[in-house]
Amino acid sequence: MKTRSIIDTEFVVRSIAETAIENEDAFCKLDSVVGDGDFGYSLARGFEKVLDEWDVFDRTDSSIFLKSIAHTITSRIGGTSGPLWGTAFLRASTAVRGRDEVGGADVVAMLRAAIEGIKDRGKSDVGDKTLLDALVPATDALEVAVAQGSSFEKALDEAAKAAREAADATSSLQARRGRASYTGERSIGSPDAGAVAVAVILERLTIQSRDR
Amino acid sequence: MKKFINDPKNFVPEMLKGLALANPDTLKYVPEYNLIHRADAPNADKVTIIQGSGSGHEPAHVMTVGKGMLDAACPGDIFAAPPVDYVYETTKLLASPKGVLLLVNNYTGDRMAFEMAQEMARADGIRVEMLFIDDDVAVEDSLYTIGRRGVAGNFFVMKAVGAAAEAGADLDEIIRIGEKVNSVTRTMGVALTACTPPAKGSPLFDLGPDEIEIGIGIHGEPGRRRGKLVSADEIVDDILGAVITDLPFTSGDRVALMVNGLGGTPISELYLLYGLAHEKLVSASITVGRNYVGEYCTSLDMAGASITLVKLDEEIESLLAAPAEIPIRVF
Repeated sequence: MKTRSIIDTEFVVRSIAETAIENEDAFCKLDSVVGDGDFGYSLARGFEKVLDEWDVFDRTDSSIFLKSIAHTITSRIGGTSGPLWGTAFLRASTAVRGRDEVGGADVVAMLRAAIEGIKDRGKSDVGDKTLLDALVPATDALEVAVAQGSSFEKALDEAAKAAREAADATSSLQARRGRASYTGERSIGSPDAGAVAVAVILERLTIQSRDR
Repeated sequence: MKKFINDPKNFVPEMLKGLALANPDTLKYVPEYNLIHRADAPNADKVTIIQGSGSGHEPAHVMTVGKGMLDAACPGDIFAAPPVDYVYETTKLLASPKGVLLLVNNYTGDRMAFEMAQEMARADGIRVEMLFIDDDVAVEDSLYTIGRRGVAGNFFVMKAVGAAAEAGADLDEIIRIGEKVNSVTRTMGVALTACTPPAKGSPLFDLGPDEIEIGIGIHGEPGRRRGKLVSADEIVDDILGAVITDLPFTSGDRVALMVNGLGGTPISELYLLYGLAHEKLVSASITVGRNYVGEYCTSLDMAGASITLVKLDEEIESLLAAPAEIPIRVF
């Protein structure tokens, strides 16, 4: 029988996958302003593979489940998204290795591990105009809410709001990584597609978790 | 969008299938990894040369697989680096005891995918090295990027290391040659129109009817600056000037000159540009030792061109002159 944690993890991963697939065109449009327009396409094709293989992933615990997801993402998604998102899922899985139950503090630890993985793999940091610019403030907000004893739905809502605000603020940044970086100062004025994707994912998760 | 396509998702596989069917004796196709490889690879007596990159740059790199050039190419989707698995599985399938060299155009996604695949292949005991190609002079400020991009000049690196590998050179020697060719190769491009990726269905960026993008990348990512459409003479002055002053190339140098079409510019215009560039080099007392005009590294249907110069010495020139047998014969 599935544990509560596995059910929660499945819910989050499936929601991320569905968001990526539903927003393919919107994410491509964002990426083509200063990037090369393939972000939405790469992400959607990759998460389609995750859903295709959904039933065969190992569900022994949340960590092992996330590790299998990471393998599919890393090995099947091209562009920058495969290595970055794959590394994020892999590090998140490592953060809860061997744990039967995953609580709010564990989710924060998983996100922190994912952030470090993205920084290592992409040799990037906050301020480079990447998904980190939304993921880091969202994690900060989630951590505060969890520490205050908020419900998970409430904490998620705070994280989504922080992500949206931070993603919008990437408009004023000059890109330092990825294809957008070649545009120099012209990358200023439009938000980073990866940062917006983080906000959209968290917003959808918030709405769906209320309806569960 | 008016293109010959069925489903955009099958654009790359259908192209690769056509390439394989058109070259039944020399090429093999492994659909699972978008892999095109020499039918006679791997060869235990030579280093295996593999290039990845995204699709949309044809003939680079799948159509430069053949005797004297690449052993294999495993491109990603249009303008996207290949997934790690494509590179890792290709490396495993084609590994030679003399080693494997992965040629990587210097982009964020390609670097990450190839670094991960290299790590995995090394864990299997395969000797595999990587060489980054970064010939584009348009990217000036490396603080804000991971460095210069690999563009049409990658042809010369592929040609030189391919010739050296065919002659039996060992991996260290091939890397030395590749790094040397890359270090004396410079490219700059200009776009007259944007390109249309099949999955997007509309032009990647807006370029006004009288505008050009100077320093364009090969994925439609913008370049150094946007300018007004001016005469061919002025455009050649601009981009050739940027290439010459970058290395710099100086009077008395002997060079290879390449005018590369970006996919949507007719051959007539490319030869027109070539003539102008050639004469400008001659008047700067730079000798054109080898000449290349055509499509080597494109950006789908983008109208535009790039100019590449390679500073020649005896070693590089003989490697460029060595015979090669690839699906497109443009060298």
